[in-house]
Amino acid sequence: MKPEYYTNRELSWMKFNERVLGEARDKSIPLFERLKFLSITASNLDEFFMIRVASLKDMVNAGYDKPDIAGMTPAEQLDRLSIETHELVSLQYSTYNRALLPQLEQQKLTVVSSHEDLSEEQKIYVDRFFKENVYPVLTPMAVDSSRPFPLIRNKTLNIGALISKKGKEGSLEFATVQVPSGLSRIVILPVGKDGRKFVILLEEVIERNISQLFLNYDVVCAHPYRIMRNADLTIDEDEAADLLKEIQKLLKKRQWGEAIRLEAEDKMDKRLLKILKKELAIKEEDIYRINGPIDLTFLMKFYGFEGFEHLKYEKFEPQPYSSYQQDKDVFSQIREGDILLHHPYHSFDPVVNFIRQAAKDSDVLAIKQTLYRVSGNSPIIAALAEAAENGKQVTVLVELKARFDEENNIVWAKMLEKAGCHVIYGLVGLKTHSKITLVVRREEDGIRRYVHLGTGNYNDATAKLYTDFGLLTCSEPIGEDATAVFNMISGYSEPLSWNRLSIAPIWLRERFLQLIRRETENAREKKPARIIAKMNSLCDQEIIAALYEASAAGVKIDLIVRGICSLKVGIPKVSEQITVRSIVGNFLEHSRVFCFYNNGAQEVYLGSADWMPRNLDKRVEIMFPVESEKLRQEILHILDIQLEDNVKAHILQKDGTYEKIDKRGKVLVNSQNFFCEEAKEKISQPEERYHDRVFIPVEHED
Amino acid sequence: MTVFAAIDIGSYEVGMKIYEISIKNGMREIDYIRRRIELGKEAFADGRISPQKVDELCRILTEFAVIMKGYRTDASRVCATSALRESENLLIILDQIRVRTGFAVEILSNSEQRFLGYKSIASKGNEFNKIIQKGIAIVDIGGGSTQISLFDKDSLVTTQNIRLGTLRMRQKLSSIIDKTTRFEEIVEELVNREIYDFKKLFLKDREIKNIIAVSDYIKNMVRKANEGQNDSFVTREKYMEFFGKIRTMNSEQMSTYIGVPSEGASLIMTSAIVYKRLFEELNAELIWAPGVNLDDGIAYDFAVGSGLIQTEHDFENDILAAAKNIGKRYMYDKGHSQMLEKLTTEIFDRMKKIHGLSKRERLLLQIAAILHDCGKYISMSSVSDCSYNIIMSTEIIGISHREREVVANVVKYMREDFRYYEEINEKIDVETYLLIAKLTAILRTANALDRSHKQKFKDIKVVLKEKQLVITVDTIENIDLESGLFNRKTDFFEEVYSMKPVIKQRKGI
Repeated sequence: MKPEYYTNRELSWMKFNERVLGEARDKSIPLFERLKFLSITASNLDEFFMIRVASLKDMVNAGYDKPDIAGMTPAEQLDRLSIETHELVSLQYSTYNRALLPQLEQQKLTVVSSHEDLSEEQKIYVDRFFKENVYPVLTPMAVDSSRPFPLIRNKTLNIGALISKKGKEGSLEFATVQVPSGLSRIVILPVGKDGRKFVILLEEVIERNISQLFLNYDVVCAHPYRIMRNADLTIDEDEAADLLKEIQKLLKKRQWGEAIRLEAEDKMDKRLLKILKKELAIKEEDIYRINGPIDLTFLMKFYGFEGFEHLKYEKFEPQPYSSYQQDKDVFSQIREGDILLHHPYHSFDPVVNFIRQAAKDSDVLAIKQTLYRVSGNSPIIAALAEAAENGKQVTVLVELKARFDEENNIVWAKMLEKAGCHVIYGLVGLKTHSKITLVVRREEDGIRRYVHLGTGNYNDATAKLYTDFGLLTCSEPIGEDATAVFNMISGYSEPLSWNRLSIAPIWLRERFLQLIRRETENAREKKPARIIAKMNSLCDQEIIAALYEASAAGVKIDLIVRGICSLKVGIPKVSEQITVRSIVGNFLEHSRVFCFYNNGAQEVYLGSADWMPRNLDKRVEIMFPVESEKLRQEILHILDIQLEDNVKAHILQKDGTYEKIDKRGKVLVNSQNFFCEEAKEKISQPEERYHDRVFIPVEHED
Repeated sequence: MTVFAAIDIGSYEVGMKIYEISIKNGMREIDYIRRRIELGKEAFADGRISPQKVDELCRILTEFAVIMKGYRTDASRVCATSALRESENLLIILDQIRVRTGFAVEILSNSEQRFLGYKSIASKGNEFNKIIQKGIAIVDIGGGSTQISLFDKDSLVTTQNIRLGTLRMRQKLSSIIDKTTRFEEIVEELVNREIYDFKKLFLKDREIKNIIAVSDYIKNMVRKANEGQNDSFVTREKYMEFFGKIRTMNSEQMSTYIGVPSEGASLIMTSAIVYKRLFEELNAELIWAPGVNLDDGIAYDFAVGSGLIQTEHDFENDILAAAKNIGKRYMYDKGHSQMLEKLTTEIFDRMKKIHGLSKRERLLLQIAAILHDCGKYISMSSVSDCSYNIIMSTEIIGISHREREVVANVVKYMREDFRYYEEINEKIDVETYLLIAKLTAILRTANALDRSHKQKFKDIKVVLKEKQLVITVDTIENIDLESGLFNRKTDFFEEVYSMKPVIKQRKGI
């Protein structure tokens, strides 16, 4: 293993967030979409700090200095990340201040950046707003010798102030007040004469009235700040087992709630900052001086403003699957042939409908499903509960360890249990990330199993935003495997063998390696060899090494990796045959597709797993083949279009940077738009599905 | 369409298979659920199963009941094998299970278990019928013991149980596993000893070309031996190569290499050695792993029994063949036994309305007829006791312990005076007692017809006439011996059936 052949995953992730920021900076994109992308970069970064940076900090604190696959120790990674994050943040704010704010202004929407800039009329409005809505919910806290420094809650926005007792000028005290998270961050001001809209942020409203909070004091200065802690975090599942042990040993010594990031207004008074720095014990490199509003996630709220539809993309309505009829029996439609859904171009309704019908159908014996993330008010949960009430055997694995959805999922799990479902609360030591549903139905000619397998979650809300594949089938070998999957996650022994599915953590890694090696062998024998794979992240060392070996043997490899990519392209004699592109568009690319040329007998697989150690080693994942030739061709067509994308694709360069394709003189291909149009066209001309390869001659009629 | 659940409580795991059985489509397995519980671990070491394990077992069975309900099963059968069978607290466990889960667990005798195991292979249909035409050995390796059955030309030649089970072996050697790196050599020594005896007694110079292997993980082993190509057949050469690779592996390495859970890997070595040694001793060429287990046999038995599937193979014949082999070993009078079998069945069939017994009891009567004299091998003067003892200590494949008791008693009382129920010291229920009486009466009558052991009759005809059972014999020979003793020997018959057997001679051409 040569470290110089790999890119550190965190740095690669930073590159991904830069690509998202690129969308916010792209002038050809409607203004409100750009606000949305900027907001996404901010929430992405928050999540990154909470999970990855916190983890790295833990490693450093634990004295763990084993280098990663790119040869960087945790300390080195943190140093590098700090530099890159500062650059990213400054780019975020220059985008906000220089590009987006002036454009909003042009669109008659003024964001009043500072309360000093309010008009007299607005000041009156703001003060009344403060008195009536804000003041009652504020809890100011001051610090002096008798009161210790208060606990500043993670990720909350606060205003720090220096105050001095009236008549005792010179002795400064620190005070802080949390900007209430229950109130909208954006305060809408009365509309101006020309119809111009004005808004101001809540912290400015509080800042303006801050003296009312400290009545016997003079407020010397007041500035917003926000901290991020690694409190209540467990070690990220991505880390190696030996590391987990090491950290567990040192857990007692670990400083709980250590601050890992401080964002402070760049104009913040130096004395105030000094106090924060000291009390929070934060290092200089972890302080971000912000030139604008802290925490840009509020921009997502702008996106919801009415009256600016012309500044957004036209909303795409997911289309019905061309040959699927919503009102017809879903089971007979599946019996006619496998159904491949490509969300969000295809509507998620058939999947919901599949479970709903199963819940009502008197011939259905059992429904089994794994749930990772579900939407609020999920129709799927409702259908499962109904099924249990109808006396069907319903087994649901609800993954309680789904990151950020833990609490949500507990609520659903309890509700399902109450309805009579057999609920499995995940598996010890493993996250169940697979997306599979099994419906067992007693039919005239025997028991038949219907299976839905997907690359994305059973979440009707995100299915409108994430690109994913789903397959509905009643193939017997897949049905048998599905039964075995549920037996396994119910705690029974593994099956003696699998027919079609490959399951992580036990078998999937080896299967991928086999499939890659088969192409390598073919290339060595001078047979055509090719791999096309699409996923969210690629950072598994063993898989990358196998890909390098394949490339060296002459296998042509095209990868579509949206996020992290630790593989490097263009290393002489190692990865010259590999291309990597990342598509960052309006929809979040989420499907995982793996194609192997197999000397002409092409194999296409879909699955829930990325090529990451956590997916292959610490999760239950399923990879499934697409067996219908027609559907295989559909997927290959989709990949072809994605490989031709020259609008939203960023190509990974030899030096590790990503660049968009030079579009001059080329027909523009925006793959996501292409699929939207294609889905709409298909619905206007539904096609026949051929299930049989036997031609039926028309006989002469007398 | 019938949905059937077969549950087997084994020494290593508890398994349930759900089948869909129909006349049109035959048997189709739709679910297979297993959970490792290792009852044998306690049973083989302490001779009893702890309350904790019983709890666990009941919990699993309750879960199975829920799954069965989900499939809306029409029928089920729950069988238990050596681990429960060998537990001192068996009756208490069975009662616990019945009260807590509602399941009536049937304890299979080894011979019943193996017979079902054998039927499981038969459930493979054509492949089975084809392969048993040649000399084959069915090797069924369980947690508690191993059964080796030899077939030749469509019929069972011999079947033997050797106490060499995977779990039992691990248990036996558990104290030295950690202290030695030569685990596989020690196992091989133990296996050799068992196989040596078997070979000396039964193998002689039979030609066995194929081995049918039934054991946990055999499919994984076969697949690995074939480098993933197929998991049904493996040649001797490939197998030996495979064995050479795993022999030095520890369970962890074996688990990854073969692709089985590591708990399972610890059991594989024993079976791998048994197969290896049999390949060598039998000079066989091929292993066939049909991938079946006891559940398949249970379901097949049910399907045949309820007329849902037809079988070409005559399983009763296998049982009779096994009985004859036992007879042969004790140098029975083949001609006399055959004549007796013929006479008893003739009388039995004619009396159907009177005795009200089924086909199964007819089979027991046949076995009794075949083995009625086996005690002579030991002592001419106490034939009945010796016969009884031989039968009670010889496994006859396909029949239960109770059935074996019936056969042994029928043989015993063919010669001895029959005793009234109150006088019998053995633990026999009333129903069994009456069955023994009925069968004994027939066997005695038949035996009286061939006192001379000369098979004098060419043909016999049995007719029921009012209070008489008229047996017309077709012979020109002198039957004074037979008719002289006949009256005395048939008193018991009259007592049991209120009917007098009468012998008539027809001196036809």
